[in-house]
Amino acid sequence: MDFELYGEDKNALVKFDPRTKFVVFAVSLVVSANSYNVAALVIYSVVLCLMLFLCGKKANAVKAFLMLAFAVFLRFSMEHAGTGAPVIVTIVSCILMIFLFFFPVMLSIMILTQTTRINQFLSAFQAMHLPTAVIIPIAVMFRFIPTVRDEWNGIRKAMAFRGISLEPAAVIRSPLKTIEYILIPLLFSSVSIMEELAAAALARGMDRSGKRSSYEEIKLGVHDYAVMALFIGAAVYFIVVSIITGGTAQ
Amino acid sequence: MIELRNVDFHYGGENGTGDGVDALDLTIADGECVVLCGESGCGKTTVTRLINGLIPQFYEGELIGEVFIDGHNVSASELSETAALVGSVFQNPKSQFFNIDTTGELTFGCENLGMSREDIGRRLDKTRRDMKLDPLMNRNIFELSGGEKQQIACGSVYATEPKVFVMDEPSSNLDKKAINRLHDIMVKMKQDGKTIVVSEHRIHYLMDIADRFIYMNDGRIVHEYTADQMRTLTENELSELGLRCTSIGNIAVGAENAVAQNGTPALDVIDLSCSRGNSRILDADRIMFPENSIVAVVGDNGCGKSTLAEALCGLIPSDGSVSFGGTFLNDKQRRQKCFMVMQDVNRQLFSDSVIEEVMMNSDCTAEEADRTLERLGLAEYRDRHPASLSGGQKQRTAIAAALCAGKEIIFCDEPTSGLDRRGMERFGELLRGMKDKVKLSVIITHDPELILRCCTHVLHMERGRVSAFYPLDKEGSQRIKNYFMSESDDTTSKKRDHKSQIGKILEYAGKDRAKVYIAAALMMIGAAASVVPYALVSGIVNKVVHGEPVTLEGSVWVIAGVLIAEIVYAVFYMQGLRVSHHAAFGTLENIRCILQEKLESQPLGTVARHSKGEIKKLFSDDIESIEMLLAHMIPEGAANLFVPAAALIILIAADWQLALLTILMVFIGLGVSRQMYSVGMDRMGSYFASAKRMNNAIVEYVNGMEVVRVFNRDGAASEKYEKAVTDYRDYALDWYKVSWPWMALYGSVFSSVVMYSLPFGALLILLGQLDISNYILALILSFGIGPLLLHCMSFIGSIPQVSFKIQSLEKALDDLPLKAGNSGFTGKDNTVTFENVRFAYKDNEVIKGITFSADEGKVTALVGHSGSGKSTLAKLLVHYYDIRSGSISIGGQDIRDMSQDALNSRVAYVSQEVFLFNKTIMENIRAGRKGASDEEVIEAAKKAECDEFIRSLPHGYDTPAGAAGNMLSGGQKQRIAFARAILKDAPIIILDEATASVDAENEAKMRRAMGEITRGKTVIVIAHKLRSVKNADKIIVLDGGEISAEGTHDELATSSGEYRRLWAMSEETHEWTLKKEVQAV
Repeated sequence: MDFELYGEDKNALVKFDPRTKFVVFAVSLVVSANSYNVAALVIYSVVLCLMLFLCGKKANAVKAFLMLAFAVFLRFSMEHAGTGAPVIVTIVSCILMIFLFFFPVMLSIMILTQTTRINQFLSAFQAMHLPTAVIIPIAVMFRFIPTVRDEWNGIRKAMAFRGISLEPAAVIRSPLKTIEYILIPLLFSSVSIMEELAAAALARGMDRSGKRSSYEEIKLGVHDYAVMALFIGAAVYFIVVSIITGGTAQ
Repeated sequence: MIELRNVDFHYGGENGTGDGVDALDLTIADGECVVLCGESGCGKTTVTRLINGLIPQFYEGELIGEVFIDGHNVSASELSETAALVGSVFQNPKSQFFNIDTTGELTFGCENLGMSREDIGRRLDKTRRDMKLDPLMNRNIFELSGGEKQQIACGSVYATEPKVFVMDEPSSNLDKKAINRLHDIMVKMKQDGKTIVVSEHRIHYLMDIADRFIYMNDGRIVHEYTADQMRTLTENELSELGLRCTSIGNIAVGAENAVAQNGTPALDVIDLSCSRGNSRILDADRIMFPENSIVAVVGDNGCGKSTLAEALCGLIPSDGSVSFGGTFLNDKQRRQKCFMVMQDVNRQLFSDSVIEEVMMNSDCTAEEADRTLERLGLAEYRDRHPASLSGGQKQRTAIAAALCAGKEIIFCDEPTSGLDRRGMERFGELLRGMKDKVKLSVIITHDPELILRCCTHVLHMERGRVSAFYPLDKEGSQRIKNYFMSESDDTTSKKRDHKSQIGKILEYAGKDRAKVYIAAALMMIGAAASVVPYALVSGIVNKVVHGEPVTLEGSVWVIAGVLIAEIVYAVFYMQGLRVSHHAAFGTLENIRCILQEKLESQPLGTVARHSKGEIKKLFSDDIESIEMLLAHMIPEGAANLFVPAAALIILIAADWQLALLTILMVFIGLGVSRQMYSVGMDRMGSYFASAKRMNNAIVEYVNGMEVVRVFNRDGAASEKYEKAVTDYRDYALDWYKVSWPWMALYGSVFSSVVMYSLPFGALLILLGQLDISNYILALILSFGIGPLLLHCMSFIGSIPQVSFKIQSLEKALDDLPLKAGNSGFTGKDNTVTFENVRFAYKDNEVIKGITFSADEGKVTALVGHSGSGKSTLAKLLVHYYDIRSGSISIGGQDIRDMSQDALNSRVAYVSQEVFLFNKTIMENIRAGRKGASDEEVIEAAKKAECDEFIRSLPHGYDTPAGAAGNMLSGGQKQRIAFARAILKDAPIIILDEATASVDAENEAKMRRAMGEITRGKTVIVIAHKLRSVKNADKIIVLDGGEISAEGTHDELATSSGEYRRLWAMSEETHEWTLKKEVQAV
């Protein structure tokens, strides 16, 4: 079980508010969906790499940047040379375009999840005035992912002793049986954990009707506003350009 | 004040069982600590739920009556209101935290109550301080041990500062260390005036906290006891009530537990080791589990108990060999022979009914299955769904399944956590009943009652190592009880470290790290330069291909360029190597120094556990191998990877299709070498273990050569040697055998990248898609990068080796150091006090609870048979080892609080073996006190009666001891040691067997010297010759690690039979020597 499953921002050069990261994520979705201009997309992607770097995932940022640079370079060389068998050209350029379009989304997900602690998320949700009915299930989900992983590890070990094989061949031979063997113990232990967890949380006043406070301090700083402005500006630009080019295309 | 007024409750709702409590009337005053006890299902948990309001707000049912806390009606109010008044801690540490990080969990309760951020911060701070939570802050809760989770749970409710704490079986999943911690936390709560209500099976740790014990049965309060009344209950009465022990010391020991050890062991484990990430978490040299035994594995949480069990079962990959009844089995075969009953049994029940569960994947017939169920008392539940059974029944179902599947070795992981006395007893009986059906049972447990009831052997684990393995006979029982009663060190689990192997090495490099980077940069430039000539030459070839004339003038620049590039390559590469070697040897120096420091701070016992061969290998060979990594692998590897990458980029510009093909080939090559890495890593452990054994065997063989020759025991010794060497050959070949094919494969892929691009390129040219000049460039670049890649890949093969060595280095370094403090001597006088001291050399407990004091200025003699622990006591006093439990103090100050220097200045130890440094005699005596003048040394020598014989040596005091060593007799050497002690002038003197090797003439001198040393000192003498200590102020008679008598000679001569025997024996030998001397005259 490592902390890497969830984010950590202790190496961050600039600590951004989770809300800012949400904005970045949303903008990335918009950009990926509306970009017909590869140059602009690449510039945007480079900015995202920089964001990831500032958020503390330096090695990942450099890796992402190198991959981006490689893809762009390969694309450029292909266009420049103009050679190649048509089939290969189609396949390779398809792969490259998919990579380039998905790059901003993947990177902004990394920024969002790898550099934000769970508590920051929850506090951000609270600050965004989301209802408790939304926040609590999200918190429980976060809490349960490692739990299920723990349980699954245990069950797999138990299966080894009982001669229940998880080799692909055995699974294909009797898929339903395998699912049953996995689900029954998983459900039984999850249900009991769930009930105990609910009791523990309630006994500590979780369902209090008044406002819940938060120890985790999150505040939008100047840098947050600057980044948000930059990214929203980018989104507007991409949408406008897409409308214009879309208009002219028609 | 808590009041339960005539409460009736029965669980209802869809899952209601109808159980509950009746007619409860209970008042608990403020600041009181009340323990609810009784068998499982007696209703004690229900009472805790009534108090914290979970009944009726969460658990549905029929409630009559009311519960008040300070006049606040809990039963009628919202749970969130009660939460401010009552803090609850539950049984299962796994399922009571809501957050993922500890800090979030600690503030969770406060946040729910809507406190301000400042307020929460203040409370968090207070909690951290009061509960000693510093090492646990900002951690991932999923990484913590159960005990640590429970600590966080306590801290989390403590932060909300409720008036009442309600705990529901908080200790059931905890080890002894965690229980101690829980105990301390509860003491703190009580000091703060909080009211504590605990429902608990294990009551022994609550005896000094609880004010009242409330005994429940069948939903009713039956009896109340005060702590004192509780303590007076006998084992039988407790058993009658179904309660667990009130004190570990009183646990009755089951009928003669140990079985005779003979024949082949059921399970023989050699050099078993396991790693997680980069750290070795298990490292067992040799364990032999006797057949038909029940072995209890004990140790703190996280010490590797479960890892050991899982490695033995073949669940997790491990190195080393495990054999069952003499045959070696691999992981998969072991999985078929073993079964593990997990702590959470829910995970291992897969079927719809008990009988199906038992029959699943087994060859046994329905009758056999029924018989097994019958035997385990499950016959009536044959067709029930396993999930509807109770915890104990589920456990038995799992065991029945194991028996039917013909499993020979059963492992149980904490089978009695949360069980009441009857449950525990039933499980113990079950184990004993199974003893003959299975070859071996291994129980991981924290439950002393279970161990003493049914186990035959105990295996102690400590920090991933086996620290002792002993049968549970009378002595063993005492030892295990003592283990559970002793306080344990207050260490918490380490934060898991995610550093990579290379990162760790770079850390050791310290300030040399920059040099490694510089070296890598220099080499990259060099390697880049080495590719330039290819590009230049391709220019010329191009011209030829295009039919342009190649003139000398035109080529001069190219040739010059090639020359310059070669020079640049040579210069930079050499410079890089120079810098990297500087860095590497600097790092080796650092590591050796660190290693030496660690070695020095460790107990002698730990050091002695490694053989000389092993330590030598560690200091020279293993560390040396890191040089390879630092000086070559990191910088050269980086350079050799960088350049091909650059070349590929150029290739893409030239022709992208060809480049993609090349990249594909490189990736295949990398995949292959990665495969080799993982395969090689698997076998590495066995390979190195056999290398270690061979080293030891060689050293032993050479050391023992003399004895072997004299006693003509050549056969046995050389056989062992031969076996070690053959083993090594086999394992090494084994390793190479699996690695070779992969090595060959990547060798061919990398060295002939060209081979693949050649035909493809030709095809492209034919298709008119590739320019011939680009084709040539591509070919030439391929020629250029092939060797570089190959060079780089050759390192990959050695990475597993290096990383394995680094692991063993780290493992050697991570032993617990001796517990030495920093303070000077602050004791009030020089009285030495041993207080219930216990100590064991591995399996063998040699000191068993010794208490005595040696008064200031008096002579105290320790006498006893050899092996009675006399010398060990002396070594403990000079802190060669850390004691297991108890304390040793000088003038009231524990020696563990003193710095080693402070202790050394108080105590002079003249041991049996005198070690003379290879320096002059003068220097050798001066070793007693640094900076003593020559005159002082000679003065001391005179007092020790050795001036005379030293002067008769060829160069007097300047005779080298190395040369004189052979000339000096044992007695003379000893007197030199005396001189050292006189020079040191410490107030406490320990003389160990001081007159053992002295003849009659020497003895007189010796006696005078001794008189000189001991004048006005606190003296502890260890002697075989009782005559010499006849006049001692106090004589302590040791027998088998215990004190059998204590007093003056005259007292003992009348009171102690043991002393009289020793005296007679000693007199006999004395007369015998005299007679011999008379005859000689």
